[in-house]
Amino acid sequence: MHRFLRLSVLLMGLFAAVGSYAADAPQSEPMTEDDLGPAIEQPIEFPHVRHAKDMQINCMYCHTYARRSAVAGIPPLQKCIGCHNWIDSVKDKPRIKTLFEYWEAKKAIPWKKVHDLPDFVRFNHERHIKRFYFQLNRPVQEVCGYCHGDVKEMTVARRQKLLSMGWCVACHQKDHPVTAEGGTPIGNQAYWYGMRKPLIDVSGIIKAKGPNDCSVCHK
Amino acid sequence: MSVTSLLENYSEFRHFHPVDDVPHNPYKWAMSIDLDACSGCNACSVACYAENNLPVVGREGFAHGQAMHWMRIERYWDEDGREFPDQGAQFLPMMCQQCEAAPCETVCPVGATNHTPDGINSQIYNRCIGSRYCSANCPYKVRYFNWYDYPTTDNVWPAEMNQQLNPDVTVRGKGVMEKCTFCIQRVTVAKNNAKNEGRLIHDGDVQTACQQACPTSAISFGNLVDPESKVYKQWKAQQVELDKDAQIKDKEEGGSELRGYRIFEELRPYPSVMYLERVRESAV
Amino acid sequence: MNSGSIKQLKKPLAIRLGEQTVLAKSLVMAEHPFDRRDFLKVLGWGGAAVALSGCGNGSVEDGKETVVSYVETNDYMIPSISVYFNSTCTQCDAGCSITGRIREGRVLKLEGNPDSTINRGKTCGLGQAGVQHHYNPDRVREPLLRTGDSGEAITWEKAYALIAEKMKDVSGEEIAFLSGGVSGHLKVLLGNYLDSFRSKNHFVYEAIAPAVMRAANKKSYGVEMPRFNISKAKVVLSFGADFLGAWVSPVHFSQQYAQFRKGDEDGQRGVLVQIESKMTLTGANADRWLVVRPGTEGILALGIINALGAAGLRLSGDVAGAVKGYDKARVSKDTGVSAEQIDKIVALLKARTPSLVLAGSAAEGYAHGSQNAAAINLLNQVLGNVGKTVEAAEVVPFPQMAPTTGNTAALKKLNDGLAAGKYKVLFSYAANPVFTAPGAMKFKDNLAKAGFKVVFAHYLDETALQADLVLPLDSALEDWGTQVPEYLATCAQINIQQPLMEKLHANTDGKGTRGMGDILLTLLKQRRAEEYKGFADYYAYLRGALLKNKVALGGHKVDDDTFWNETLSKGIIKLEGHVSALSSRSGTAGLSLPSPAAIDAQYPLQLIPSVNASLRDGRHTNQPWLQESPDPLTTIVWDSWVEIHPRKAAELGIEEGDIVEVTGKNGSVKVQAYLFPGIHPDAISIPLGRGHEALGRYAKGYGVNPFQILDAVFDKETGELALHETRVKVSKTGSRVIVVKDEGPVGGRQMGKKIAARLPSDKVKLSEEI
Repeated sequence: MHRFLRLSVLLMGLFAAVGSYAADAPQSEPMTEDDLGPAIEQPIEFPHVRHAKDMQINCMYCHTYARRSAVAGIPPLQKCIGCHNWIDSVKDKPRIKTLFEYWEAKKAIPWKKVHDLPDFVRFNHERHIKRFYFQLNRPVQEVCGYCHGDVKEMTVARRQKLLSMGWCVACHQKDHPVTAEGGTPIGNQAYWYGMRKPLIDVSGIIKAKGPNDCSVCHK
Repeated sequence: MSVTSLLENYSEFRHFHPVDDVPHNPYKWAMSIDLDACSGCNACSVACYAENNLPVVGREGFAHGQAMHWMRIERYWDEDGREFPDQGAQFLPMMCQQCEAAPCETVCPVGATNHTPDGINSQIYNRCIGSRYCSANCPYKVRYFNWYDYPTTDNVWPAEMNQQLNPDVTVRGKGVMEKCTFCIQRVTVAKNNAKNEGRLIHDGDVQTACQQACPTSAISFGNLVDPESKVYKQWKAQQVELDKDAQIKDKEEGGSELRGYRIFEELRPYPSVMYLERVRESAV
Repeated sequence: MNSGSIKQLKKPLAIRLGEQTVLAKSLVMAEHPFDRRDFLKVLGWGGAAVALSGCGNGSVEDGKETVVSYVETNDYMIPSISVYFNSTCTQCDAGCSITGRIREGRVLKLEGNPDSTINRGKTCGLGQAGVQHHYNPDRVREPLLRTGDSGEAITWEKAYALIAEKMKDVSGEEIAFLSGGVSGHLKVLLGNYLDSFRSKNHFVYEAIAPAVMRAANKKSYGVEMPRFNISKAKVVLSFGADFLGAWVSPVHFSQQYAQFRKGDEDGQRGVLVQIESKMTLTGANADRWLVVRPGTEGILALGIINALGAAGLRLSGDVAGAVKGYDKARVSKDTGVSAEQIDKIVALLKARTPSLVLAGSAAEGYAHGSQNAAAINLLNQVLGNVGKTVEAAEVVPFPQMAPTTGNTAALKKLNDGLAAGKYKVLFSYAANPVFTAPGAMKFKDNLAKAGFKVVFAHYLDETALQADLVLPLDSALEDWGTQVPEYLATCAQINIQQPLMEKLHANTDGKGTRGMGDILLTLLKQRRAEEYKGFADYYAYLRGALLKNKVALGGHKVDDDTFWNETLSKGIIKLEGHVSALSSRSGTAGLSLPSPAAIDAQYPLQLIPSVNASLRDGRHTNQPWLQESPDPLTTIVWDSWVEIHPRKAAELGIEEGDIVEVTGKNGSVKVQAYLFPGIHPDAISIPLGRGHEALGRYAKGYGVNPFQILDAVFDKETGELALHETRVKVSKTGSRVIVVKDEGPVGGRQMGKKIAARLPSDKVKLSEEI
């Protein structure tokens, strides 16, 4: 009896602990594939829709680091000014005025991070863009959209995808073609993408999965 | 698979490799350390602190065995009972041996430590729950536990000092096990650069922090399945094979002319670090 | 490695980042480390619940962190991609070239620069810790003026005005400038400043410099610092030269040592025999470590020459005369080295040539240190090593930039002047004499007699605390400079020091840190405004000075900007140096060695203050990596200890961890005992560098400072402090501690396992190895 009591106390404690953890955990909004994350107030309400949809500017024109670095970064202020210095028609608009205020004070704009991954995650923009944009020739807005959603329809960017580990892995488990249509993989190139054995599907396209190793994404 | 087969061939199964049917393709990271060159100067250890965001635990912490030196120099004396150590001391750089059949991996209750396809025994900090079973099971005692939340502990990384932290390496929190990673962040960068050029990593593209600092170049690091790499050549010349628990040369006559050995090979962890025995002049 | 080139930028990293200089990522990491791991607080209940939540989605935190982007940037600055800049390490005077890894405007790590002939891409632990000097939280951030017992922060303008006022009516005789070893353009400016007062009072002081060796080498070889070619030697006989640890240029010698061991040229492995009273790191790596009675190194050297003669080596008349009487029996009795050992060494030296004999600080730290060094150098000459393994080094063809080498003799002179109240203004730079002067000198008391004391400091060290005015310096990773190393490896070179990042403590409100060159330039402008008005700052001065000598520096084919940018990019200027031939005087004149002193009944033990490769004279003790880096031989961290031979300890009833009192004529220290087999039973050893009463949070209050109990005994010829001449007694205090060390409870035994294995050399074929 005594022993039973002890065990039940232990078990109750365990449930209480789990419960309290669940209650304390930061609750992000329940999200489905196409829900938008919380709206974040930015120093300047940057209209992605104007730039990416109306003006048809390539994402990588501004987010130029994305194809050569692990982090996409925010373009330097000088890049904004580089164009806007010559666009007189909007110079009196409040947002552009704010932009020039920052520029004249040589102050950096304190943008809020929208797509924030935990610090123990190593996400490499360069690899994804090399793979899907340069290797498979997919349109740039589609490639960026895999993770960032339909940014061209947004003003200030909002998180549209889950960005959870399961969500990442779901895509890494899919079979992606190794090269664009008609291309042939060189040597054991397929291994370099997934480190997993490539397979040839019924239509003869060589496909490979994404890397599935913990240490590839966790640092 | 029958139980009999499992029992008989357990040793084999234990270090089966995750890459489907092609083991270690295209990389298997390994080291060789020349103890005759190693002078025990500790440069490797400090370089590791600098590279891997290792916390300084202070005198109290060190006294309690909480030092976080992923790379440590062990010092041994001769045990021949002589009054003076007239053959000097023996120094041994000891870090995670990245075992192929790592004793730590099998006991982790959550799979936080596991083998990568390129032969590194990875430690996933956010997965780790701090059971410390791995440390208990490690024959080399090279796993280090975060007993405190060092980032918030006084004088570990006070203001300004925290600006030195390497952004490529996680700052570990309390309750997490950590250990040498063969500078996996450097390997990752090298892989990235090699992929961009459509090639594999060449020998010398990636150096570990300890190797780069070592004033006597005692440490070599490289790809054991790349016949062009120095490490491959050294292992080959010393007739040390990764997947043997006793080397053929050790049984043969004349095999003792070779200096290569692995520590605790007989326990069958199949470590990825080969040491070259220290040499002492016989004439004096 | 993609080396960043510096194009048209005055300061390579002066990239405008706006308010913050970093992309906030890792800073935020340090401030809110793993807050999602808070669930571990409820751990202890078992892993199941936690395992389930190990990879939850609670970790994505929108809008919590700020991404600070650049305002303007260069093409080569890409977030998350490292840029590398070359500079020079200033942690010691060896002059290793370093490459700093810079990310998002912060220097993260220092590596060796492979182009340097000194360190060839390698670094030591001390060099690695250079970043901790730069980011140290205890750095002085603003000029401080003494008001009573406290310091008041003032502006640089006020500080300069104050110096100008104090210097108005002083004569050159009344000024004293104390500094560590200086070279390059800083030395030129310093000299010019003193010159503007017609003052010759520049005292160059290094606490643990090989001053005796320099003088002995000058006599034996004609140069102070010849090149020691360890890699060419087949036998190295080292009398206490810790060339793998802290002697002259350890990183360079370590590489030579590795080649020497591999026998790169013919596959024959070199043999190292180390002769000393306390085992150094080099001794621990020797094939044969011979313990010698403290101070009798010279006798042993002469004994070996005598035995070489007896074994058939032809000795010249004066040498034979000098070693007459040093027969094996007597030498063996005096030194404690057996006749059989001497025979073995002689056989080895005869069989394998060339050899190299090194005289290290352990042999020189006596009143007859010069004699010891001369006897050891004589051995080199007898063996015909001069010109083979002891070679003439190249000399940088700009004598005004050559390093000024320091010694304790200079400090003694200054101390005498201070005691006599001669100096109205005293400057101190890169020296901490209040900490490092032997206690018998009473330096601190004498310092108080100086009128106005200005200390240029990185930290508030013991000397800075005595100052009237403390001027905060830029760290070595923020400052400009040139350096000429004293020991030049294979070619003459001038090292360039350049900022690896923006100043950590910016010059806002007239405060913040400044470079030593900038300060000297400002002070010079107070004196010679016309001459220096063309130089806006030290950077402009350096650039101008180097460009003026462009042709001599090898830049005759390129224009100024290209030359300058290439020079900064390389971090080194390699030069055609002069080679002055070594003289081969046999140097037996006046060679007479005292018999070993009888044991003093009151103070029976010889105190050997040992030099640790990381802590040296204690200026770097506030770098926590070095405090936590175990001493290689004892594996002790964060504290001082006294090494006692187990036999002696048994006699005295001392065990490991006993707090013992070490008493000499000039005071005593209480320190934990460590039983150490590698020391002469009549000697004890305490490491230097710890025992600070100031300096910073990682140094203050850890260990004891053996400098404080040293006797003021000086070498008879050079006047250098005889570091090993202090005699002490040891007594138990009764209290005990557990020694904080890295080695396990079995203390360095392998318990029958094959952990650190060893083979005799006749069992291996090194020439067949990779």
